[in-house]
Formats: sequence, C-alpha cells, structure tokens
Amino acid sequence: MKRFCFFLACAFLLIVAANAAESKTEITYWTHEDPNRTEIENRYIKEFEKANPEVTIKRVTSPSKKMAERVLTAFAANQGPDMFNLQIEDEYAYIVNGRLAPIDFKAGGYPSVKAIYDAYLPKVLDPVTYEGKLYGLPLELTNWCLYINDRVFKDAGLNPDKDYPKTWEEMVTVSEKIAIREGEIVKRRGFDFRYPYYLVSMVPMVEQLGGQLISDDGKTAIINDKAWIQFFEFMRAWGPNGKNLGSPTYTNARKLFNKDNNDIGMCLSGLYQEGRIRADNPEFYNSGEWRVVPYPKFAKAVKDAASAYYGHYFVVNAQKPKKNQEMTWKFIGYMLGHSEEYLAKVGLIQPTVNLMASQTFKNMPYSAVFKGDMERGKIVYYAGNSAKIQQHIREAVESVMLAGTSPEEALKNLRRKAQETLDEE
Amino acid sequence: MTGRIFSPGIEHKKARWGWVFIFPSLTFFALFNFYPIFNALYTSLFRKKLLSLKPPKFIGFDNYIYLVNSPDFWNSIRATVVFTIGTFIPMVIFSLILANFIISRKRFQKFFQMAYYSPAVLSSVVVAAIWLLIFDPRGLSNQLVNFILNTPGIDHKWLANSIMVQISTMLVYFWKYVGYFTIIFLVGLASIPQSIHEAAEIDGVNAWTGFWYITFPLLKPTTILVSIMSMLQCLKTFSTQYLFTQGGAPTEPINVITLNLYHTAIRDHRIGLASAMSIILFCIMLFFTWLQFKASRSDEVSY
Repeated sequence: MKRFCFFLACAFLLIVAANAAESKTEITYWTHEDPNRTEIENRYIKEFEKANPEVTIKRVTSPSKKMAERVLTAFAANQGPDMFNLQIEDEYAYIVNGRLAPIDFKAGGYPSVKAIYDAYLPKVLDPVTYEGKLYGLPLELTNWCLYINDRVFKDAGLNPDKDYPKTWEEMVTVSEKIAIREGEIVKRRGFDFRYPYYLVSMVPMVEQLGGQLISDDGKTAIINDKAWIQFFEFMRAWGPNGKNLGSPTYTNARKLFNKDNNDIGMCLSGLYQEGRIRADNPEFYNSGEWRVVPYPKFAKAVKDAASAYYGHYFVVNAQKPKKNQEMTWKFIGYMLGHSEEYLAKVGLIQPTVNLMASQTFKNMPYSAVFKGDMERGKIVYYAGNSAKIQQHIREAVESVMLAGTSPEEALKNLRRKAQETLDEE
Repeated sequence: MTGRIFSPGIEHKKARWGWVFIFPSLTFFALFNFYPIFNALYTSLFRKKLLSLKPPKFIGFDNYIYLVNSPDFWNSIRATVVFTIGTFIPMVIFSLILANFIISRKRFQKFFQMAYYSPAVLSSVVVAAIWLLIFDPRGLSNQLVNFILNTPGIDHKWLANSIMVQISTMLVYFWKYVGYFTIIFLVGLASIPQSIHEAAEIDGVNAWTGFWYITFPLLKPTTILVSIMSMLQCLKTFSTQYLFTQGGAPTEPINVITLNLYHTAIRDHRIGLASAMSIILFCIMLFFTWLQFKASRSDEVSY
C-alpha cells in the first residue's frame, strides 16, 4: 500500500511539474551578432525573466550577413521566432505579406499608438507603418559618416584638420596622396566604399547629381541618365582599371580601420563604429587620432544628400499565440526603455525625441555630425524588391569598375533589370 | 481439377528478405530524394512567393518559358558549363595521374594519400575563406606568381577580372576535390591483380604501354564512376561562387545555376521560379549522366 501511495505521489508531482513547464511562455528572439549589445541584452533578459517568472527568453544570434536568410527559411517553414530584427529593406516583405503582428501598445508600455508616434522622431516609423497599422519599433536607426584616421593623414603629409575631403572630387585627390602602391597593388588605400551596401552609400551620390533610383510615382526605375552616367564614370575612375584607388575585392575598409595598421585612411560607418573601435583597439580609440566628418558631396552637386539611413526594427511573429505576442511586445518595450544605455555602450541610436535631446546623445563623440547628416539624408529605399534592386546596382557598378563595361552600356542593363523587377511587383 | 502449388525457391526467398532489408533505406531515400524532386516539379508550375500566405497561383509552364527567355538564366547555363568543363576534365586526368604516382611510391604512400585528401574534409566555407585571403590583391597568389614570373607589382586580379575569377573558382574546386577522386582511383588501381602487371613485365611491356593498354582499360569502371561523380559535383557547385561574390568578386561571370537559384529563392522570394531552375538543372544532370554511360558503353571488366 505504501509503495502504491509513493508511486501515486510521484505521478502527481510529475503531472504538476509538466503543467508548470507548459504554462511557462518561451519567447525566441533572433538577432545579429554584436558583442557590445549581447552584454547589455543578456542583462535585460535576466531582469525581465525575474520580473516575469512565467517567461523565458531564448536569444539566438547569427552573423548579420546570414540573418536575412535564416529568418526567411524559418518563416517559409512557418517556424519563425517570436521576435527578430532585420534591416528594413529585408524586413518590409514580412509586413506586406501579413507575417507580422501589429504593435500591442499597452504591452509595449504606451497609452496609445499615437503616443508611440509622438515619442519618436517624425517619419522614422513610416517604414513599419502599413495600411494604417504600426508593425515595429526601431532597435537602431543608422546613417554613415566618414571616419578619418589622423595618423594616416599625417603620415601622408596631410593636415586632417583642413585636408579632409568635403567633396567626392577631393576624396579622389586626397586618396591619391594617401595611397601607397607596389606596382598595381595598393598597399595603403586612402578610402574605399562599402560595396555590398549600394542603396545606403551610393544611391545618395546619384541623388546629389540629380538622379533618382525610382520615380516619385514608383512606376519608373532609373531617372536622369546624365546623373547615373556621371556616377558610373566616377566609379570606373575609382576602380582598378582607372586611378586604381580601391576595389570590391580588397578587404573591407571598415574592418581594417579599427586596427590602425596604416593600411586605410578613411571609411564610411555608423555611430556604432565608435563602440567597436573602443572594443577592438582601445589605444587607438583613446589616442584621439581619429575623427568623423560629414558624408562628402560632389562639387557639381545639384542637390544635397548624405548617406541614406536604415533601420533595424524589432518585429513580432503574427503566427505565434496571442499570449506570446503580448509578452514579446512587453519585452521589446522593456529593452527599448534603455535607449541611453544602447547609445552609450553600443553606439545605437533609437530615434526617440527624448534620446536625441538627451545629454547622453550630445556627449557621444561626433554625435552632432551624425545628427546633421541624418537631417541631410533620407531613409533607404525599402520595398519587397529592394534586395534585388540593390543587386542590379551592384552588377552595374562592378561591370564598369572591373569588367570594362562602358557607363552607357551599364546604365542600359541596369534600367532593363530594375524596370523588370519593378514591374514584377 | 488439380491446383498448382507454388513453392518459392531459395533464390526467391532470399530476394524477399532482400526487399525487407532494403525497405528502411528505400523509404528514407524516397522521402528525402524523391519527395523533394516531385515537390519541386509541382511547385515549379505555380507562381509562389516564399513569404506569401496566399495560395500559390497555377501558371503551367510559365516559369519555364520565362527562364528560356531570360538572358540571366542563359548566362547561368554558360557559367555552369564553363565551370564544369574547366574543372571536371582536369580533375579526372590529374586524379588519375596522382593515383598512379602514389601507387608507384614504395614509401610514404599513406602520407601522400592523406596530404592529397585533406582539403576534401575541410568545409567549403573554410576553403573559400582561406582562398579569399590568398586571392586578395596583397595576398599570396600575387606574390607567388610575381616571384615565379619575375613580374613584381602586377595585380593578376584573381577576383576582379571576369576571366580570372572563373579560373579562380575552378582552381579552388580542383584543389579541394582532386584528392578525393585520387583516392577512388587508388582503390581501382589496387583492385587490379598484380599478376597481370607481372605477366606484362615478363612480356617486356614498358611502363607507358602497360598503363595505356592494360591499366587504363581495366580501370574503365572506376574512370566512368569518377567522371560522372566529378561532373555532377561540378554542376552542383555553389559555396565557392557564393562566398567569392560575398567577398566582392563580380557575380555575373560566376553566376552558376545554383547561385542564381539561391538568389531567386532567398533574395527574390520567387520559389516557383527557383523550383523550375532546379528541375532544369536536374534534367541537365540526368542527361549528361545518361550520355556518359551511353558514350562509355560501360561493360563489366573481369580480371
């Protein structure tokens, strides 16, 4: 009898434990690798789990280049995470295809949806607003300015205070002075572009010259041939078959910059780069031998434009149970309540009105430069087809820089492909 | 009326047990090979977006018609054919030469086998990452070639030039897999009875004649196997081209069918179109395999 009672008690305990485990909500959070952010977010997760014992958060990181692919394949199999963040160019398709849940403003800590729009800078929530509903909140809004290594400038006999390039034409002359070559091989580059990111860093160059990627009515691709051809001519002259100042096949300039190995003078990057320099090379960070200046402009520009800004938005999977969605928005609201720490420790701008007016933002080195350029720029082109359009621009730029294609021919091919992609939508 | 009593023979019983034993693997094979093929064939007849929750629209052969008229797809066919011919023919020839070299060694046979085989066990991602560093304009490849040719400062544009980037992908693939096929040839060579070589030697046959008239014909099944395997492997190539384009190499010259397929599915979300590409690739592979079997008129070799 005693033995029977013992087994009965064990079975009861097992059932209770199983029920308790079932009542726990597990939230899966997929994001890209960023060591500085991991440190603070792991702390937020612990704090949130302590305050909400019925919730466990599983944070999974992937390399940023792999994120879009991993999230896509998971969603294709209807196995997406509860929440994730991607660049808006990749994320927008999830919104238009009904894969994301509109914001639960109460769970997110706001009295109304209007209060959310009021809390953020104007227009920054436009990319995640679709058919009158809000689908995401920004983890970061990033624009790129020009980072300069003063030591490289001085080594090339330049004065970084006054010789830094203000125009793309000056960028060529300064880079020629900095470049060290061994025959055709460039041992030290003055500057090089961030080649995979044509929409963010190169389309604004075309816009400065009066061109447009897509017409205002969204129906025609590639506007103003003259501007595009001027841009292609500039890129051809930049590449190995022209003045040989850089190429997509050299190591990424932004990665080399932090090392301060006298092999790159300038690169384009966001405010987050400051945190990465501090983490990778504290000596260089503390030396004060680097600076950030505005995105250059063509001397013959007809319009002012800085690098486009792009956003990583936190979004929630609509296929998860309502209970998970609510808890996920609550967690997002909790994390985004630490925007000053995100800025100070990771260098990410969460563009709330309060943050932009805060002392923390003003105290960040060169934050005024980034703010000024953000006012000059606009959000990156985002649509269901933006990744494909970017690939077409990439092929056109590569063809003039590397394959010897004429700018006119490259433009013709780009127009054909971009228009076809636009018409597919 | 007398009924016939069927009494299965021992061979029949064996065959029945054979079916029982292969049933699990057959099920596994059908599930993970046949099902995806038929599913891809079915999907290729629809306009289907990867993220869309709407039911896909049946469009018949429109995806195939689109591909036939697409210059990008024809460029992918060109890139795949160039890569396959440029890689699998040298791979078969050199793996046969290397296998003969290794088997003729009296010492260090194991060492050579391991040395040639080791790249095959590396992941393709690691291989491409290593070669990206080597092909960097300031990397080893330029230094080595310039040292050998005494041409200091020349950038051979391993990844930048449209011809060179195709050669670079072939080089990487060749380096990675030549050891693997060498080992298969070694097994084939080892299975030829030594007595045949000894008899030939007694008859005064020299090394070259012996290889050409005795070893090579006896190696025919292995040669066919290696040529089919290597050709299929080359037609399916993906990771080298993918990682090279991620590393800044121009896409167009090395936009092989698998890379185009990947971009169509993952970047453009057009899974119906990507499925049509995969079916075309499947048919190409099937055709060339059949052609090779037909051309070689593969008879069994007995020693």
